[in-house]
Order: sequence, then C-alpha cells, then structure tokens
Amino acid sequence: MNNTTPGASLLCAAFLCGITALPSTIAADDAAPANDPAAAEAPDPRLVARGKRLYVFCQACHATEEVEGSKIGPNLAGILNRQAAILEDTLYSEALKQQDFVWDEEKLDVWLQRPETLVPGTSMGFVGLPQKANRAAIIAYLKTI
Amino acid sequence: MKRRQVLKGALSLSALSLSYPLLRPAKGFAAEKTRVIVIGGGLSGLNSALLLTDFGLDVIVLEGSQRVGGRARTADGVETRPEYGASQIGRSYARAIDLCSRMGLNLIPQDRFIMPMSFNVGGTWVRSDEWAHSPVNKLVGDERELPPSLVGMGLMNRLNPLINLDDWLSPEFFSYDVSMLELLKKSGASPEALRLASYYLDLRTTSSLGMMQERTRTLFDANFGRSESGGEATAFGLGGTNERGEEIPAIRNIEGGVSRLPEAIAAALGDRVRLGKVAAAIDMSGPDAEIRCLDGSRYRADFVVAAVPFSTLRNISVSPAFTGRQAEAVLTLGYRGTTRAYGLVEAPYWEEDGFEPSFWTDGTVQTMWVMEKRPGEDRHRFILTFTGMTSARIDQLPDDQALALIESEIARARPAAKGNFRFLALYGWRKNPLILGCRHMFAPGQIARFAREMIVPHHRLHFAGEHTRRMDFGMESALESGERAAFEILQRA
Repeated sequence: MNNTTPGASLLCAAFLCGITALPSTIAADDAAPANDPAAAEAPDPRLVARGKRLYVFCQACHATEEVEGSKIGPNLAGILNRQAAILEDTLYSEALKQQDFVWDEEKLDVWLQRPETLVPGTSMGFVGLPQKANRAAIIAYLKTI
Repeated sequence: MKRRQVLKGALSLSALSLSYPLLRPAKGFAAEKTRVIVIGGGLSGLNSALLLTDFGLDVIVLEGSQRVGGRARTADGVETRPEYGASQIGRSYARAIDLCSRMGLNLIPQDRFIMPMSFNVGGTWVRSDEWAHSPVNKLVGDERELPPSLVGMGLMNRLNPLINLDDWLSPEFFSYDVSMLELLKKSGASPEALRLASYYLDLRTTSSLGMMQERTRTLFDANFGRSESGGEATAFGLGGTNERGEEIPAIRNIEGGVSRLPEAIAAALGDRVRLGKVAAAIDMSGPDAEIRCLDGSRYRADFVVAAVPFSTLRNISVSPAFTGRQAEAVLTLGYRGTTRAYGLVEAPYWEEDGFEPSFWTDGTVQTMWVMEKRPGEDRHRFILTFTGMTSARIDQLPDDQALALIESEIARARPAAKGNFRFLALYGWRKNPLILGCRHMFAPGQIARFAREMIVPHHRLHFAGEHTRRMDFGMESALESGERAAFEILQRA
C-alpha cells in the first residue's frame, strides 16, 4: 500500500515543518559556496555552523561523538561515505539492512527530504526537510564529524 | 440606583484606572527583553526552551499555573502516586529517552498488568472467556470476537490504510477524514457495534483519520527494533502492556514519576521559567513581539512559541490576528476530556461473585481496571477511566459528588464490590482551566481543512504542543513539536 505519489509526498512534506516561506538571513548565502570549487575540500564554515544548528532536528536520535550512548539511532560520526547499516550494536530496520549503498551526499539529500522515499519501511520516523538549503547545511556539518 | 451612588462608582472607577499603573512597581512598566518567549511550561514548551538555550538563545518560559509539566503530572500527594496524564514511553520515543538520559532519570519497565476483564452489557454480566458465544453479545459476524470495551477501536484498526507516519497529512487519505460513525457504518458495522463503541468514543465528532494517525504511530512503536511485527495496542494507548521477559520493554515509565522530567528540565533552565504567568496578549504589531500577562507584567522578544493548547490559545489576544484556516484551527480544533479515578481494592470481591476483577459496563461507570500487585504491595490498585461522553457526564459534577455517584453505581452494578474498594483521587483534564481537555481531537474534516496550515508560523509566533504533531503520539508528540518550533526559530535567528 506504499503507493503515495511523489507529488503528494512533496506537497505534504512542505507542510510537515512550518518552515516553507520564512525569512532567513542565511539562506541567501547558500548559493555562493555551492559553486565554489574549493567547497568540496573546505566546506563553508558558515554553512557548517548553520548545519550544526539545524542538527537540533537530529540530535535526539543520533550522537556525533563516539562516547555518547543511549540514543536510539546510529552514531553519525563518520557517516559520509559509510556503508548503510554497517555499525555493530546498532538498531537498524530490516528494510535498511537489506540495502547495499554508501551514504554519499546524494543519498543523504534524498534521505533527509523524506526517509521513506529512499528506503520504504525504514524505522527512522523523521519529518523530513523540504528545503534543499537546510539539507545542504546539515550534510556540510555531517562531513565535519 | 441613586445618582450619588452612580457618581461615586464612576469616580472610584476612574480613580482606579488612573492609580492602577502608578501603584504598580516600576518593574511592571518596563518590559523584560529576551530573544524568545515560550508560552506554556509543558513538555513541548520546556523542550523548545531547552534546545534554544543549548544554542545560546536567551529564553523565558511563561507558565500560567504554579507547576511545570502540563499534562505530564504525577500525583505525588496521593498514596499510590498515580499518573494523571502522560506516562508511557515507547521504544521509539527517541526524544523522551534522550532527555531522560540527559537529565539523569531512569526508565523502568511499566509495571501495570491489568487483570482479566468481565463485561456488564445491558445489565447482564459476562466473563471475558464466554463473551464470544454469549447471548448477551449482539455483535454480528467476526465482530463477536471483539470485547465490547474495544469493539470501536478494533473495527477502526481493521480499516486503517496508513503505512507511513506522515500519510495522514497526504490528500490521498483525506477520504478517511470523516467521522468514525460514518466510516464504521460504511464498512458495515452492526448497530450493536456502534452502540457499544459510542460508550467510550465520540463517534460523531472524531475524525477517523486522526485516530488512524495514532494507530499508525503505535504500530510503528510496537514494531520498532523487532524483526517481526506484533504488539496489539488498545484505545488511546491506555491499555498498552509489556510482555514479561522482553529485552527492551514495549512501555517504560520514568522512575519516580513522569513529573520528574519537566521538573528536571525546568531546573536546568533555572530562572528562565516563570510560574503564575498567564498570558493575555501577544502583540506583534511593533518592531518585536510583546507578551502581556494577566498580572500586568510584560515581555518583549524576537520570537514567541505558543506551547499551549488551542483550547486556551483562543483566550489570548493575538495581533495581527490569525487569518484563514489557521484562525479556524485555533478557534475550532476539537478537544477531549478524560477523567480517571484511582484507588485501592480492600478485598478481592471477584472471589465472591466469580467474575473477573476488571470490568467494563455500558452504564455510568465505563471501565475499571484492577492491577496485578506490584512487588511489596499488599492490595490491588484500580483505575477507573472515563472517556468520550462518559467523561463529559462525570465532569458535570463536583469531585466529591462524582465519586459518591461512581461508588454507588459500582455497588449497584457489581454488588460484591460494595465496600471493598476505596478511592484515593479523581482527576478530569477538562476541568483544568489552563488546558481544558486531556488532548486535542480533530473533528471530521478538520485534518483536510487545516492540519497542515495550522502550524505555519504566524509572523514571529511559532506553534508547539501535542496538537501540532506531525509524526508522533503521546508524550513524544509534545517533545517532537517543541523540537520543531526550536528548529524553525534556529533557522531564522
């Protein structure tokens, strides 16, 4: 019964967080570093700082340091370019365990928009980020941890 | 009235209005300035405040009552320390689990095992093991296996088409945003099923889709971390039970009571939390937002989080006013009462009449759960739960009259119980003037009308509270909403 059309999902996602049309002083800055060829190696510190803030949406489930415990989702230290569902002693859904891919930026971008779109049956109950700029900021931050 | 009296009245009134501001301490004049004001010190508001504080924003929480926690409330003064509101923490309640860990609170398996339940339908007693084949059971076909206490939810659950946690917000499923009565009728439910269900569910005024959102979230939790699905949940999650010997229990509670969590967050926030501050107005017509409280105190902030239910947000003057569907949501979102009585069983009356300890009736008394004794307990606890119209009816009475009535009704319905139980407390959330209900409940059509639009920030005002949930249920939905409001503000600030 997983036949939600992408259009319906997107329309839906736009309302999931009431953040679609907010004035943001930082949003305008996002375009510049993305076109900067050096950005891949040295992410824009402002974008990383913004991503660290927006990580507020992730922190209840995901630790970013090796020592932290008792969070229900996988530790995200070193998530970039890690194989999906590979950590030991970590709770993954059967659906994610069946996957064979690496968490690159592209995958993370789809995932953060709506996890079910990438892996139907995932146990990550995440509301999703409809704005690409927000996803880019979080991914920039994830690269640094 | 004589002219002099009128004059005197007019004079004293004008004198009062003149002297009132002059008599106020200077503090009453100057608005306290901060970055974010959170209105409401329940779990959603406190979580918002904590997260914003983590990121270095100055926050003040205005709580109208003299305690924090809202609908998370442990009755510490009552012998058995019952929970009046939220208490259950599911396996996938990431935020509740994480916050407890951060605050140094232990989670313990819920030790609430409900003893078997007999039914009194139309004045006749039936044991649970005889119900399916009893002549008292007027249900039809495969309805007959459902206990009368769960027939409404049981039939609803069979009709639930939702898979993903956000499906309920998708127009694809808005055809389910109709009353439970309409949906059950359409699915061929028998008149007896509708009659029994109407004792504890507001069939006419509740959106089926809203109930299905909760069911979907409950199933998500039941399946979380398991390779096989399982774990039936009952109405409103109230009957959720653990299976003994599970590695991670399905339901956990906070050691010492759920109130320890909001108290710990408030302690971490320190003097940022102000009690007894009932918000009267949110004025965003100037360069920032000004909050005025009933006691004359004023606060200015760049952002405001309304972490109060819409049932009381509608008592706050907001300028510029809400418009369109958001205004409709604030003014008309449905709210429900739940009323519970708590007590102790003094003698096992069920040994006398041969029926099971717990019971459900289609009369004045709705549900009486008798609990297995916990280690160290010499008597069984019981909880009487009233929902739907049974709750509304009980709430019409003052507490002492309500308890006297319930006591005599139990004695009448089940004579063996007479004199063998003792009440410790009664609590009805509808009677709490700062909350006016135990929870929101979308009316038929309201999800399609405004569930998505209702949480869109209004100027500097953001929304939190269980009614602004997107993916969650219960305590976790309050925390989810507080986190979302913090996210929205961090994105702007």
